[in-house]
Formats: sequence, C-alpha cells, structure tokens
Amino acid sequence: MGAHPMTSRYPSIAPDILALFAARGAPAVDVPVLQPADPFLDMAGEDLRRRIFLTESETGAALCLRPEFTIPVCLDHIASQSGTPRRYSYLGEVFRQRREGGNEFFQAGVEDLGDRDIARADARSIADAHALLAMTLPGQALKITLGDQSIFEAVLAALGLPRGWRMRLARAFGSAEQLAAALADLANPQKNGALPEPVASLVADGDLDGLAGHIASTMSEAGLSASAGRTPQEIARRLVEKAELRSVRLSAEAFAALEKFLAIDVPLNLAAAALEDFAQSAGLSLGAALAGFSARVDAVSAEGMPSDAIRYDAAFGRPLDYYTGLVFEISVGDASRPLAGGGRYDRLLTLLGAKTPIPGVGFSVWLDRIEQLRGGDA
Amino acid sequence: MTITLAIPSKGRLKDQSLEVLAKAGLTVSLPGDDRRYRARIEGRDDIEIAFLSASEIAGEIGQGSVDLGITGEDLLRENVADWESKTAIATRLGFGSADVVVAVPDAWLDVETMADLDDVAAEFRQRHGRRLRIATKYWRLTQQFFSQLHGIQVYRIVESLGATEGAPAAGSADVIVDITTTGSTLRANHLKILADGVILRSQACLVRSLKTRTSADEALAGKISASLARAAGG
Repeated sequence: MGAHPMTSRYPSIAPDILALFAARGAPAVDVPVLQPADPFLDMAGEDLRRRIFLTESETGAALCLRPEFTIPVCLDHIASQSGTPRRYSYLGEVFRQRREGGNEFFQAGVEDLGDRDIARADARSIADAHALLAMTLPGQALKITLGDQSIFEAVLAALGLPRGWRMRLARAFGSAEQLAAALADLANPQKNGALPEPVASLVADGDLDGLAGHIASTMSEAGLSASAGRTPQEIARRLVEKAELRSVRLSAEAFAALEKFLAIDVPLNLAAAALEDFAQSAGLSLGAALAGFSARVDAVSAEGMPSDAIRYDAAFGRPLDYYTGLVFEISVGDASRPLAGGGRYDRLLTLLGAKTPIPGVGFSVWLDRIEQLRGGDA
Repeated sequence: MTITLAIPSKGRLKDQSLEVLAKAGLTVSLPGDDRRYRARIEGRDDIEIAFLSASEIAGEIGQGSVDLGITGEDLLRENVADWESKTAIATRLGFGSADVVVAVPDAWLDVETMADLDDVAAEFRQRHGRRLRIATKYWRLTQQFFSQLHGIQVYRIVESLGATEGAPAAGSADVIVDITTTGSTLRANHLKILADGVILRSQACLVRSLKTRTSADEALAGKISASLARAAGG
C-alpha cells in the first residue's frame, strides 16, 4: 500500500479498504498530519478549539494535528487546481481531545468533488460507505439513516416564512434542542427595545438611506470603519426588517406543518410519497427540492442497496453551515454511535477559497469502531 | 498540619483581602520586605500565606498546590478547566465585583440580544468573507456562553491581552467579551452591553481546592472558611 506506513497499530482491515477504494475509482491521497488550524476553526467554529490539538510554528502560525480529512482534501484540491469531477480517498489517523478514551482514531473515507450529477454522486457516496461496512462487517445488519437539508429549507420557503426566520430555523436544523428554542422564539417573539429618535422615525418611514446616514455618522464618531465590518446599509436594512417582523408571529398552521414534517420517518422507498402527502395536506409545493429528492431515491436503488435498510428521517441534519443537501449515517443495530457519517457540502469549497463553486459530497468511517465490532482479530 | 492560603499580591484586591482576613481575626503580619511572597498570620503557625497574582491563585487552587485562595470567580471559571470538580467556592466575599459581558458597537442599532448576534454571526462570512471576530481574554467563558448556551458556532476569538474595549475601533474585532464594573469604559468606547449579554456576575471569592487532605487540615480549612464567611457577611 505504497506510502502508508504499515505500523502494528494500523488496522488489519486497512489494505482491504484501500483496495476497495481503488476498485471504486477513488485513488488514495496523502494528507499531512500537521495542518494549518484556521480552516478548521473557520469552518466548524471556535468550539472545535477545545477538541483539537493546537500547536504553533516558530513563526507563530497556528497549526493542529488533523482532526478530520475533508477540509485538507478540499484545500489540496483547490491548491492543485485539479480538474473535476474527481474522487479522493484517504485512510489514516485523526486526533481529537476527549475526556475519556483515546485521542487518536483511524478514519477512512471518500470525497467526491465536482460531479454535477448530484443524485448520482449522492447515491454513490452512500453506496461506497455501505460497501466498506458490508465488506468489513459481513453478516451484520447495517442501518442507514438519511436526511436532507434542502427539503427542510424548501418547506420553510413554501410556508412563506420571512427570510430572517428561514435562516434562523435552517441553521438550527439537525439539533432538536436549538430548533425547539428557535420555534418557541418565533411563536412568541421578544419585545424589541424602544428606539431613540431620530432612529424610530426613520425606521417607521422605512427610510433606509436616512438610517444608513445616521448610522454612518454614529460609526465615524466611534472611530469605526464603515467597510471593515458591518456596514451602515447592512445595519439599517436589518433594523427595518426587524421592525417589520415585530408584530408577526409564527402562525399555528405553520407551526403544525413544521411539526408534522419533522415527524416524518419512513423507509426510503416510501419517502417521496410521504413528502408528497405532507406537501398536499399542508397545501405546499416543494418543487425542485422534491424532484431532486426523488432522483436521489432512484439513484440509490440503482446502486443496488437494500432499500428497506435505509430510512429517511426528516429531522436528521447537521447544524454546520456548509452542509447543503444530503446527510447520512450508517450504524449497526441500535448502537448509538454511527460507524459512518457523510453528506453534501456544496458551500464548503467556495468557503475554503475555490474561485468557482464546486459541489462536493463525501463520507468518513470510524475504523476503530469497526474493529471493536469485529472483535479480537484487529 | 499546615494550610496554605493564597491572597492577591497587589492592588485593591490585596488590601480588601487583608481587611476581610483581619475582620475574621486572621491578621496577616506583612513581611518587612515587599519582595517577599510569603507571610504568616499572627499567632497562627498552622496557616501559611502566599502572595500570588489573582489568576495564578485560580490556577494553583485548580492544581491543588494551595489549599485556599482569594480570587475572582471570573478567573476561577476561566483558568481552571472543569473547575467544579477540582475546586469549590467556600464563600463570596462581597468585594471585587465585576461583570463579564458581551458588548457590541453602539452603532449596531439592530442588535439588542444574543439572538440578534446569532443572526449577524450566521451571515457574516457570506457578507464579509470572514467570520465575526470577538476580542476577549476570556476564551473559555466566551466559548461556553456562545457555543454551549446560545448555540452560536460561527465566530472567531481574537486573543486580547489588554484594552479589549478598543478592539472594534482598532479594527481587530467586531464585538468584545470583557469585564466591567460601572460600564463607563464601554460607554466611552461607544459600546453597549446586550440585554441578555451578562455572562457572569463575578466577585472576589474564597476558593477551596478539593484535593484530599488530612482530617485535621480539612477541619482547619473549614474553620477558616467559616470565619471568613462571617466576616464577609457582617
């Protein structure tokens, strides 16, 4: 297996996995263990800081032991200006701080960049992960759970919710707790504080230019740059938007429709019908999102996976702002820890600096969890 | 049987600590030489006084290298990971009050609450090509408040070692998390505290390390705590 050092710690299943990736058209890439820390903190947020191993170069640059592979693989792809579509695979250790257990884990996975056939690429990613687990855990019943950020966003749009609210709910998607808190807020919005004059009048008149001018002078008095951060126009616009929402509440119908949607949890082969039923009963049109969903269902069955082993859970998602569509997990039985996790991240490459949008989908598998399930032969 | 009690080595916190100790009948006999960092309590050979900086005191109690110490609750929560498993606040002493707060520019008329800031942070990258920046020396408190309590993930912390309130005007950060007593420094810098932006109402505390001690030392630590609690309450 070429460049990979075969230390005694390397999982015994590693060569089979690399052979599988090669056979499925995803050649292995090498990713340095030491990575610049900023891209990870920028993408995942500051909370990651306490879960990664940070260090510093002699020149003061923040470095970390790679906590995952997706971001470095995407950064390499951008830097090398490789053509697309392109599939990359990896297998190696990731490093994370945890209170209990070890800090080093083996992960393997595939990143599929630039394929414009979204449904096919999504299905292939699920199929790759499933093939890996079926090979390394023969005879085990694998359970695949699938969610879709774009369907949730389509429901929010179809309900006619104001833009601010849609954004707020969309970023809480995947966290039951945050979503409940956001919904409670919208059903019973906080009172805004009284605005001082002349701001109150300018807001009442919807005078964006007047407001922006007033804000610009406040900023210059405070020595704030009007371009380095939030601009006067941006503040004025949001202030007026907020005032318009002051008297609006999330309606009982919209709330009920959202609850009904989030409760959908069906085998994948019944999912498109369930979504159509929901849309019809709520009087909504989910349009392109539903068409994309159905195309993916067809592509998944074309990959020949057991469709009764796949469930669609409408509430399943990941609250990270670069996931845009499919998310999925694969586990064994009722185990709470997934063996594989993946999803579509069409915004990630642009956020990382790609000049043109590059769609991407990928998954990662926890090899240590597989080895545990395989028992003593690790 | 000896107990180490650490107290701040300078400033008002030092004076007020000595005052409350004296009131509790524990008068510190100051070393003649100001550069010495050890002292005794008159008539008490069983208590050793160590003068340290307030943030060192929090760290030393967390490690268990001193038994008791007077320090700010903000420093304890900030400097000691998992502080509740290693230390306990024996009593709050009623001085050194200060709030750790989230403050944004006055000009941000649309931002009154953490929910507003959440909205702004979520769209920041798209609008400005970078994440919202928060200047602070309170990494841990900021992360806990933003990420764990308010579910705000997308922001970057910019380390600030002094004059944090100047960071927005200097362009090094958009908002700040800092300590304030009267709010006048924030106002002078055209910053406002968010309505639900008080992270911690801090004051000086007597803090006890939870390391295991002999029962005699434990009893002594308990007695010192009790007399300081009475002195602070009276």
